Amino acid sequence: MFIGKDMPRIDSLDKVLGRPVFAGDMIMEGMLHATILRSTRPHARILRINTAAALRLAGVVKIITVRDVPGENLFGIIKKDQPCLADGRVYHIGQPILIVVAETERTARQAVSLIAIDYDEITPVLAPSSSPDTAPPIHGESGNLLCLRTLIKGDAERALADSDVVVSNTYRTTWVDHAFLETEAGIGYVDGSGRIVIASSTQNIHYKRREVSRLLAIPEESVQMIQTTTGGGFGGKLDMTVEGYLALAVYHTRRPVLMRFSREESFLSNTKRHPLYIDYTTGARKDGSLTGVKVNIVGDTGAFISYGEVVCLRAAVHATGPYEVPHVHVESRMFYTNNPVSGAMRGFGIPQLAFAHESQMDQIAMRLGMDLLDIRVKNALRKGSLTATSQLLEHSVGLVETIRKVEPHWRAREKESDSRGFGLGCMYYGCGNTGASNPSGCHIRLTGDGRIALHLGACEIGQGSDTVLMQIMLETLGVGEKEVQLVRGDTDTSRDAGSSSASRHTYITGRAVYEASAKTRSYLEESGYYHGRSLRDVCDEASARETAVFEGFFDPPTTPVDPLTCQGVPYATYAFATHMTEVDVDRVTGECRIVKVHAAHDVGKVVNPTLAKGQVYGGVAMGIGFAVMEAFEPGKTESFDGYYIPTSMDMPDIEVYFVEDEEPTGPFGAKGVGEPALIPQAAAIVNAITDATGARPFELPVHVERLKKLIGL
Amino acid sequence: MMLPEFELINSGDKSAALSLLAGPDRIKVIAGGTDLLVRMRRGETWGRLLDVSGVPEIRTIEADASGIVIGGAVNHGEVSAHSKVLEAAPALACACSRVGSPQIRNMGTVGGNLVNASPAADTLPPLLIHRARVKLESVRGIREVNLEDFIVSPYQTSIRADELLCGVYLEPLKGYRMGYRRVAKRAAWAISRLSAAWAVREEKGVFLDVRLAIGSCTPMPFRAHAAEEFLAGREGSAAVIAEAVNMVIEGITFISGERPSYIYKLPVLRGMLENILRG
Amino acid sequence: MKTVHFVLNGQPAEVEVEDNEVLLHTLRARLSIKSVKEGCSIGECGVCTVLIDDAPCYSCLTLTAKVAGHDVKTVECLAEGDSLHPLQEAFIRAGAVQCGFCTPGMLLSAYSLLKRCPNPSREEIREAISGNLCRCTGYVQIVEAVHDAAGV
Repeated sequence: MFIGKDMPRIDSLDKVLGRPVFAGDMIMEGMLHATILRSTRPHARILRINTAAALRLAGVVKIITVRDVPGENLFGIIKKDQPCLADGRVYHIGQPILIVVAETERTARQAVSLIAIDYDEITPVLAPSSSPDTAPPIHGESGNLLCLRTLIKGDAERALADSDVVVSNTYRTTWVDHAFLETEAGIGYVDGSGRIVIASSTQNIHYKRREVSRLLAIPEESVQMIQTTTGGGFGGKLDMTVEGYLALAVYHTRRPVLMRFSREESFLSNTKRHPLYIDYTTGARKDGSLTGVKVNIVGDTGAFISYGEVVCLRAAVHATGPYEVPHVHVESRMFYTNNPVSGAMRGFGIPQLAFAHESQMDQIAMRLGMDLLDIRVKNALRKGSLTATSQLLEHSVGLVETIRKVEPHWRAREKESDSRGFGLGCMYYGCGNTGASNPSGCHIRLTGDGRIALHLGACEIGQGSDTVLMQIMLETLGVGEKEVQLVRGDTDTSRDAGSSSASRHTYITGRAVYEASAKTRSYLEESGYYHGRSLRDVCDEASARETAVFEGFFDPPTTPVDPLTCQGVPYATYAFATHMTEVDVDRVTGECRIVKVHAAHDVGKVVNPTLAKGQVYGGVAMGIGFAVMEAFEPGKTESFDGYYIPTSMDMPDIEVYFVEDEEPTGPFGAKGVGEPALIPQAAAIVNAITDATGARPFELPVHVERLKKLIGL
Repeated sequence: MMLPEFELINSGDKSAALSLLAGPDRIKVIAGGTDLLVRMRRGETWGRLLDVSGVPEIRTIEADASGIVIGGAVNHGEVSAHSKVLEAAPALACACSRVGSPQIRNMGTVGGNLVNASPAADTLPPLLIHRARVKLESVRGIREVNLEDFIVSPYQTSIRADELLCGVYLEPLKGYRMGYRRVAKRAAWAISRLSAAWAVREEKGVFLDVRLAIGSCTPMPFRAHAAEEFLAGREGSAAVIAEAVNMVIEGITFISGERPSYIYKLPVLRGMLENILRG
Repeated sequence: MKTVHFVLNGQPAEVEVEDNEVLLHTLRARLSIKSVKEGCSIGECGVCTVLIDDAPCYSCLTLTAKVAGHDVKTVECLAEGDSLHPLQEAFIRAGAVQCGFCTPGMLLSAYSLLKRCPNPSREEIREAISGNLCRCTGYVQIVEAVHDAAGV
């Protein structure tokens, strides 16, 4: 029995011994070091680049500019708009202009400091705006609107007009950094057969292989992308980080090249959580049932697209929160600015929206004199509900069960002192990409040494995918751990499993693994393995017959959403959760201590309880940071001394509860938890702060000073 | 981001260190390195560093009835755990236990903290309420300076190029209610945004001796002398306390004017001080 | 260049270093101990933690010359041959490891704690690891693991 088992992570042993080789640990014979020279201006034309002094420095091997790009300079996860190297113009502070390749890292960085760039500055656009006067177009001629998604269900305007109570507020969030402990790093080299190999800290490999192939104008088969042990991602290692620069350095020098970002560089270059301005209007009847929701979202997507369109759409789709609302109107816009590039970060806009919709729920309930938990139960999505996109939810809708898990604690809550407060936050989150094909492939191979090898392109970034996917295979095959092995993270030996994002691997790749395992099982069955034939025998025979490979594939059944109304079936399954949080606010200082969290998650099926809990604990920590601490300030934040993430002393006691409302299309009923773990936490903290102080925050983070000002100076 | 090149000299004993400091070439003292090396990674350059962290004469805490002397190269962790400090200067023990992180407390020294003279240094307010004097030694002799006078502007002290901060003397207190409170943006390992150290001796509701020092509020450390004098001999009524707190606030704004951060800091300080004085 | 003699994981070590060299670099580049990580270089993240005379320190802010004559420990000293230290076993059991980047430093801070304080409370454990950042785990299972190991 492997499902529901606390199988130890397959990589824990190595990790507690300090053995895994991370990208920055790698050394190769004749290795060079590459460093990027980045723009110090938010918006400027590049008039002149003077590299003379740098080239004279002993140990400098090559300086690479946009003129040295053999193929396509523009890359991007959704649209190809982002220059690998600046082409005459820079659009944000930190934008890469050129690469210095040198014998040592010190020399490379020294050389960078010797390069003089003459900029002709252009007035930067520093706030999202559609007005051509305040925000002249950064790209092209037609204004700074990247995208607009509208969600229209019924007639929200009328529904609001007919409501007994209407609550309207504006919520604001700011840039947040992933702050993974391992900064971006990679190594590149030319292998024995002349192929270019890039090994990097990453959340996806097949996508990046395609990008490198485009960048260098060489066939994909000439590129091998390998994932090194990755020290955290959270969405920040989905875009190209070091890979393109390494590829260019290797292409031009034909030697191994290492690149690793300093922490300052990571903060400077890494994509950020989108700052969102959310105007939110909620209407309800006297009995607490929601009538209509109208939301206007404006996001600062920064200088390039990255995941901007994805966040734009996801935010629109999830704006109502996990509730059945008959009339909905959402307008979600992303604007270009000369601010840092906003991209994928755990939750893709939903932690921000949850802050808004959960604050709204509390306010509606308070206006009606209704219990804050009861109003959530009343409106909760259930089997048979229609979502905001009019999707009929037929399976795996465990929201109410998650509310019921925290309910006894909610009913029994008692303030130890009047500095205490309690808050609730609910959420739902579609697993997988929004209304788009989002498949995972994998394969299983019977090996020459008598074992069953699971070949995965799915990147383990700490979240536990290696172990969970292995457990799914073990369960399906009914074999033991000694019979199997894992081959992971190499484009040469894996199918494309998509990115480690959107809380999709357990659900989508897990299903693909299940499919491959089921085929393998049939084969083992036919071969007599379960009737005593040795695995060695079966494998040998399979090799001889060339029947040793079993493919698995899954693409969740979704439909694209309507371009004008966002109606459709954007996700095949949703995770649901409720967090209850207790805080203690010091009214004198504004310090907010998180005392206790009850976190209940419908994950469909718990594959590995310890790992699943680990995701929730980590999500709570990130939620605390998002709520009360973290704010990246462009031009100001340099490193961890100016960007605080929670320490062990900032953590509350946490109780985790799992609900298993099985997802029929998921492996053994499982869906996802990676992002859900974070999403409701800040929302619950904000509601708890309101309960403790009577003052409601509308802007995150509610750090010490902001909270004190809110309470009253 | 990389450290510049420099020569590192290990100083041996105190007299060897002082001789080196008296030499003709510019040389910077390094003890724990937790402030200096970060500054050097960010651009500050020194050609020669003198490592005093092993100088035996400045590595001890001596205590007798008349005072406690903390050697300049004693680290924060050692201060916070020392029985005599805990007994006679608990506010200092508390402050040292909150500097940085456990690792920083194992590395960073009291001497380093004082010479760095950050307005947010945690050791300053508690040392002030214990009438601390720094002991500066050079080949020319010994000089003692009141801590209040030692720091002349933010990040600058009156230490001379050939001097070593060998120790800091503080007056032990007994029979006082003492403490240190700091406000920061997270629960551990964070710069102090505002802090206060106090020692209050009172009897039957009357203040006998009150000492208050405020940190992270003024460019140099602030000891609330005017308020302290006002409180001496007065009853701890709400009105008296309010008046004293006003005097502290006035003292601060007199020094620093109206800073943007004061919108937050002064009301918070007011609340903190009221709590402190009320007990 | 200076020759520095110290004890590394129980064995005498001798290495030639630059004056401005930090222990983090010496361990990783000269002594090939890659378990000590670089995360920020300014003593603000904890992944470079080593023990110097059994006290946790940031190797990124420790000039190597300063450890002359001292005892330095990295995570390699915890296991004995094939036997894991109880802390390592507890970390595996409790789910205290996710991406693994903070793990070596975290183990050393915990090891140092248990040496000083064999039966720490959860509050004492949290305090002892408060100079080691983790972005993955939320620290809960790490604290449980240390608590568990102390009971052994």
